[in-house]
Amino acid sequence: MQQFANPTQFLSLANKALPTIWAVTTILFALGLYGALVTAPPDYQQGETVRIMFVHVPAAWLAMLVYTVMALASAVAIIFRHPLADVAAKTAAPIGAVFCFLALATGSLWGKPMWGAWWVWDARLTSMFVLFLLYVGYIAIWQAIEEPTRAATIARIVALVGVVNIPIIKFSVDWWNSLHQPASVFKMGGPSIAFPMLWPLLVMGLAYTFLFLALHLISIRSEITARKLRNLQIARGEN
Amino acid sequence: MMDWSANHSGFVIASYAMSIIFLAGLIVYTFNRDARARKRLTQFEKTKK
Amino acid sequence: MRLLWALLRRDLILAARQGGGVGTALGFFLTVLVLLPIGIGPDQVTLQRLAPGMLWITLLLSVLLSADRIFQQDFEDGSLEVMAMAPASLELVVLTKAFAHWLSTSLPLSLAAPFLGILLNLRTETIWPLALSMVLGSLALSLLASIGASLTLNLRRGGLLISILVLPLYVPVLVFGMSATTGNPEMIMPSLLILSAMALASLVLAPIAAAAALRAYLK
Repeated sequence: MQQFANPTQFLSLANKALPTIWAVTTILFALGLYGALVTAPPDYQQGETVRIMFVHVPAAWLAMLVYTVMALASAVAIIFRHPLADVAAKTAAPIGAVFCFLALATGSLWGKPMWGAWWVWDARLTSMFVLFLLYVGYIAIWQAIEEPTRAATIARIVALVGVVNIPIIKFSVDWWNSLHQPASVFKMGGPSIAFPMLWPLLVMGLAYTFLFLALHLISIRSEITARKLRNLQIARGEN
Repeated sequence: MMDWSANHSGFVIASYAMSIIFLAGLIVYTFNRDARARKRLTQFEKTKK
Repeated sequence: MRLLWALLRRDLILAARQGGGVGTALGFFLTVLVLLPIGIGPDQVTLQRLAPGMLWITLLLSVLLSADRIFQQDFEDGSLEVMAMAPASLELVVLTKAFAHWLSTSLPLSLAAPFLGILLNLRTETIWPLALSMVLGSLALSLLASIGASLTLNLRRGGLLISILVLPLYVPVLVFGMSATTGNPEMIMPSLLILSAMALASLVLAPIAAAAALRAYLK
């Protein structure tokens, strides 16, 4: 952990790792897309539309994973005062928001052929929508507060309050959904997905994760660069 | 192999297209921002000299 | 402890005298509840089905509308800084102010709601569950609003930000508040218990989060 504390050290480590990460990402995507579009069989009931699962579910997984990363980084920032922790949280958010948006959009595109409606208020989609709101709020708070240290402090609280809220939302939306018994309850391939469907899903999940990792590292690098510049400008201004 | 002429295949295509476009856009944006930040830094360091 | 009592009384007196925040919230509450039937149409069956939801959502929005009042004025005239330096912990100050907000705004609205529900043809057997669920839920609403208020203290467009930050927190309260009014008597106790749990949890968590946020702004 300590070796990442020094931004320069972090940068050199990140720069060394990135080419490999990108290579792995590309391979995983190639493999995953092949599995999703070529080897995976169409579903007995849904036909070819089940293939949307291979872009929808990984996006949803990442939307949740990235928020968890943000919350963890915020916690590290509070407890250990690690200098890069706030940067990690701040830069992860827009990436997670994009994944969240994709989860919603592909969920909608999956829902239309299945349920006949572009949007249904089922438990999962509703939770994902609220998650999107959480992302928007977090990003907005960074934009709204000018003073960087204060912005970081407030953002940490927003992230942690949000992460506490997520399981509560999940629970309450599940409850709410069970009260209202939607006309068609969608079960995602049941409790055990067949292997030809499972492995492309996992590979795509990994591909998305590595993509996030690569993008996150680059974003942290950009942020460090920008801060270096700001510090130099301030120092210059004081001369 | 995916049957491209099946019912609702448009939705599948749209989903994959959206995902690719948005993720590619995110990648391009991230690279761009990084390049611009580095450029601004090196430019500033040049003017300092 | 005496300090906190004094603070509570002061906030309540201010709220009563100024009427600004409380009055606005109440006015908003009434206006929306009058406009809703006009917008939805006078069909009694529809109104009855939608009544609990409309009352709850209007309550949510009214509390949210008055949320920035919790800390803003005291921040502007410097009294918040004084309070932060007082012997009582900032967390307890937050708790007291949120409690004052509940007593002056959320609680009166939630007590008025069942009566206004009559305008919406609210089913008689749901009146008591609605009232109870709102009284319990509104305490959580005020506490959660204080988190939003502390996070967005003195920010431009703070009102919009408060809404974005607080509404996700309100979703569970709304869900369980509504589940008490479905008309199924077996649902009432569990819903009220969960609402109480939420209120209790907010009692603990809100002051911690809000005080941390306030300290960031007061530095």
